[in-house]
Amino acid sequence: MRKGVMKKVISLGLILVLMSAMLTGCRFGFASDPDDPNEEEKEIPIDTSVDTFEYDSSLSGTNITLLNSKAEIQVALEKMGAEFEKKSGVHVEVMPVTDGDSPYTKVVSLYNSGTPPTASILDTTDVIALAKEKAADLSDESWTKEAEGYLTEVDGKIYSFPLCIEGRGIIYNKAVIEEALGESFEPDSVTTQDEFKELLERLVNAGIEKPVSMAKEDWSLGAHHLQYIYETYEGTSEGAGEVIEKIKAGKLDLESYDRLREFLNMFDILKKYNVAKGDPLGADYDEMAIDLADGKTAFWFNGNWAWPNISEAGAKEEDEYGFLPYFLNNDRNDFVNHQIQASPSKQVMLDGQIASEKEQAAAKEFLNWIVYSEIGQQMLVKTCNIIPPFKNNPYEPSDPLSADIYTKVHEEKAFNASAIVPNDHWAVLGASMQKYLADRSSREELTEDIQKYWDEQE
Amino acid sequence: MKSKNNGKDFCMFALPGMFCFFAVVIIPFVYGVYLTLTDWNGVSKVKNFIGLKNFAGVMRDGQFWTSLLLTFKYVIFVVLIVNVLAFAIAYLLTRGIKGQNFFRAGFFTPNLIGGIVLGYIWQFVFSRVFVSIGESTGWKMFEVSWLSDPTNAFIALVVVSVWQLSGYMILIYVAGFMGLSEDVMEAASIDGASGFVKLKNIIMPLMMSSITICLFLTLSRAFMVYDVNLSLTAGAPYGTTEMAAMHVYEKAFTSRQFGIGQAEAFILFIIVAVISGIQVYLTKKQEVEA
Repeated sequence: MRKGVMKKVISLGLILVLMSAMLTGCRFGFASDPDDPNEEEKEIPIDTSVDTFEYDSSLSGTNITLLNSKAEIQVALEKMGAEFEKKSGVHVEVMPVTDGDSPYTKVVSLYNSGTPPTASILDTTDVIALAKEKAADLSDESWTKEAEGYLTEVDGKIYSFPLCIEGRGIIYNKAVIEEALGESFEPDSVTTQDEFKELLERLVNAGIEKPVSMAKEDWSLGAHHLQYIYETYEGTSEGAGEVIEKIKAGKLDLESYDRLREFLNMFDILKKYNVAKGDPLGADYDEMAIDLADGKTAFWFNGNWAWPNISEAGAKEEDEYGFLPYFLNNDRNDFVNHQIQASPSKQVMLDGQIASEKEQAAAKEFLNWIVYSEIGQQMLVKTCNIIPPFKNNPYEPSDPLSADIYTKVHEEKAFNASAIVPNDHWAVLGASMQKYLADRSSREELTEDIQKYWDEQE
Repeated sequence: MKSKNNGKDFCMFALPGMFCFFAVVIIPFVYGVYLTLTDWNGVSKVKNFIGLKNFAGVMRDGQFWTSLLLTFKYVIFVVLIVNVLAFAIAYLLTRGIKGQNFFRAGFFTPNLIGGIVLGYIWQFVFSRVFVSIGESTGWKMFEVSWLSDPTNAFIALVVVSVWQLSGYMILIYVAGFMGLSEDVMEAASIDGASGFVKLKNIIMPLMMSSITICLFLTLSRAFMVYDVNLSLTAGAPYGTTEMAAMHVYEKAFTSRQFGIGQAEAFILFIIVAVISGIQVYLTKKQEVEA
């Protein structure tokens, strides 16, 4: 009798466990999982017939590891590694940084356990933090000539390989705007903040009640929105560094700093027409992509990395999406009103501490292969869907957002500035921006928070 | 009299365990304490001894003390609700009601789901399901996502933690109730004790050992909460639901102030150790033998 009850309990428990496992399984199916077996394989053919790259045969048989912090290209990188191995005999093991782990934490823990990756894809701030202590000097590599303007220097030396250009701005869905207004929409026709506001107003009158989506995530608010105040100082990374030094030293009064005031004016406009205005901090990221693709909204402040989300929400590659600049004022001649921000974001750093000479040479060859071999060039753009920072790469990215940035970079409609800020900038000031977004703090309080943040830095 | 064999026995049985314990608990702990006295940033090869500077840094880190205060608040709510609820449910589930085995399994299930997954599921519930319910019914309380308001986000955290922890505690309390001797209960009934009196004077003292365990488990788990905190709110909105453990992690790895983070972790450890120590001492004193 008792045994029977026990059996029942156990089987019931098992069923419950299985059911919950099934439920959680479903939940993860929604997310853009690179390993999702349901996902359609859409492969762009790579032409491997021509390859003039000279391989160093003495490196054949070497094993190198590559730590990848750009989850969306994990599969593509593995393919690149396999292709490279076929040609050179060097095995490239691509290790992903799992969700929730920060790339920096991961690489530091690997260093502390004595098994650092030969190469790691990191953010620029991470490279700067690690370069002098751990990285191999790449100043003499020949690809540095092809990437002029996109290199990061630490004390006059180059320690990292710029992997891609990423840009951000106000993504528009052209079809939605045209359908609502009943006329063709020319993105270049919007050249000032007032014109942008007028466009929004017309869209509202045409029935799109709240035409803008803006993410509540602290990285979006703290890094992508707020960092405009440094990057637009004069549109260069040096300028961004300069203004940060000034703020730190108390030489620049934030309250009278034009770019901050202008930035907040623009932020207020976006806030006013935000589709989630009723509950801006409850906005859901995935829903924003769906809203934009479905035409509930016409704009989304984001970068080209949002394409997988928009595409998953139903957008096609032939649809017309592109970027409007983050309009700061009504001066047509101000570069911020006709240029979007685009600069190298992910960097490859080579280990110069533990990796053997041969491993370092193999990793360097892999980087050169990406830049100079016909196959590497194609795979970087077509397989990884990356905007290459190398002048000699003739291929163009295919998704509309990357393609738009690509054209803008080549037509000088983009400015290359990235502010190097402390690693917790996005988290700390992202929280202050969230408060401002939710109308729980005033401009003065936000300004104070920014000043306080910089005062606390050494 | 000591036998000659003692040393060998000790080596055979205790050494492997001791070795593991030292390797994964004691040595890292001592090393961690040492790190609080250095300026190590997690990467560099040299570690400079800087005395108590990190602790001074902790004193200046206002956010840490705010998060610690919030953690205390959270612990009080979670410990009280979990134990009262679990005790009551366990009491009901040992009265022989129909389908009690089914309920026991059911209540325990949330505990089998990992904190991270649980947090994501509930995030979906709070910010999508509840909001849709609010939209279709017009109920004010579900109008906006709970996770976008500091107070409601805190309540959400407590609700989810209670939901997760209760099952485990129910199990322990159920075991406690089943262990109550029928003779004693019967004797109490014959003596005229019933209802509340029986609960207060007979059941509670006999259940004290279960209560000790449950209080200890809920206390330490609630103080160290990280996974649910991370996946449910991640400190949002604007850092108002960041608990101590999460703040320590953020300090060390996001702000990259490793020494200060380590010092904060050490302070958190002392607080948890002292409080659970006092709790175990006090409740142990209440324990009686039937």
